[in-house]
Amino acid sequence: MSPLTLAAIAATLAAYVLFRRLYLRYGHPLLNIVVLSAAAIIALLLACGVSYQEYAPAREIMTFLLGPATVGLAVPLYRHRHLLRRYAVAIVTSVAAGAACAMLSAGLIARLGGLPREVVMSIVPKGVSIPFAIEIARLYDGIPPLAAAFVVATGTLGSLIGASFLTRVGITNPVARGLALGTVSHAQGTATALLEGERQGSMAGLAMILAGVLTALFAPFAVMIL
Amino acid sequence: MRKALRMLGQTALLWGVYWVSNRFVTAAGLPVPGNVVGVLLLFTLLCLGVIRLEHVQEAADFLLRHLVFFFIPIAVGLMNWGQVFQDHGLVLLAAIVVSSLLPFWAVGFITQWLHRKDGECEL
Repeated sequence: MSPLTLAAIAATLAAYVLFRRLYLRYGHPLLNIVVLSAAAIIALLLACGVSYQEYAPAREIMTFLLGPATVGLAVPLYRHRHLLRRYAVAIVTSVAAGAACAMLSAGLIARLGGLPREVVMSIVPKGVSIPFAIEIARLYDGIPPLAAAFVVATGTLGSLIGASFLTRVGITNPVARGLALGTVSHAQGTATALLEGERQGSMAGLAMILAGVLTALFAPFAVMIL
Repeated sequence: MRKALRMLGQTALLWGVYWVSNRFVTAAGLPVPGNVVGVLLLFTLLCLGVIRLEHVQEAADFLLRHLVFFFIPIAVGLMNWGQVFQDHGLVLLAAIVVSSLLPFWAVGFITQWLHRKDGECEL
């Protein structure tokens, strides 16, 4: 491992520990762990003249456990499986409506705003996890890496404002909050929902999966409309 | 020491489920990410009792408690797209914000409305 990679990992970990502590102490939604840490790391990389390509090996090492961690979402889901049956209808209808709404509103605004077609097609799948989004963008002439960037931007925004927005519009039911966070801002929303509570987190994980599958199914229709 | 070993073993088991799922997705040519199949597979195994909660829950709980960590290096990748965001900033911002707030409200409202009689403590 190169010294640069080692330093990058140490810096990312340090930023995480620091901002997590701040978040846990003050609990303010603007003390967003991902946003603040990523901003600090970007500033550090720019200041040291390090490109994202040079940071990539560190990213690979640090995200190695993301796959197994995501698989672990089955654990809270299993613990709260009684909610699945009780909320089955609500889960399917609300996530389907949310996924369709996210795709169409993003695509329409991008199109009416005069963005190039390939950018529009890259923003349509922004509400799903990266592998889904890349596949959808590729199928419909979007730009896969740009699609991935929109996914990250959406997840980051959702984790920044999602919880406080839901509170403001009077959504207090923990299942509803979890489903909303997972549908709109996929894994990052799920991570945020987990910080709020396990019920929210397990429902967000479920919504993320469902939204991913439904978005892939809806994509051809969205492309036709846009 | 024993706890560390147990964590390691449980993480390996989670990783194994993830690996099998990835192989399956690739072999079957499914347009679905491996981790999605992985969640469904582990959930099924838990329901069938093939894997019990105590086989995975310590590692899963630890990883999920720190799930946001993994998104820091990924979010750093936004630095590559500064130009696109600069060129089309306002439209992109509007598109992303509106298309987040609208479905946030829609999903939350539909679920909460369908279950408007649910008390907080029954959940």
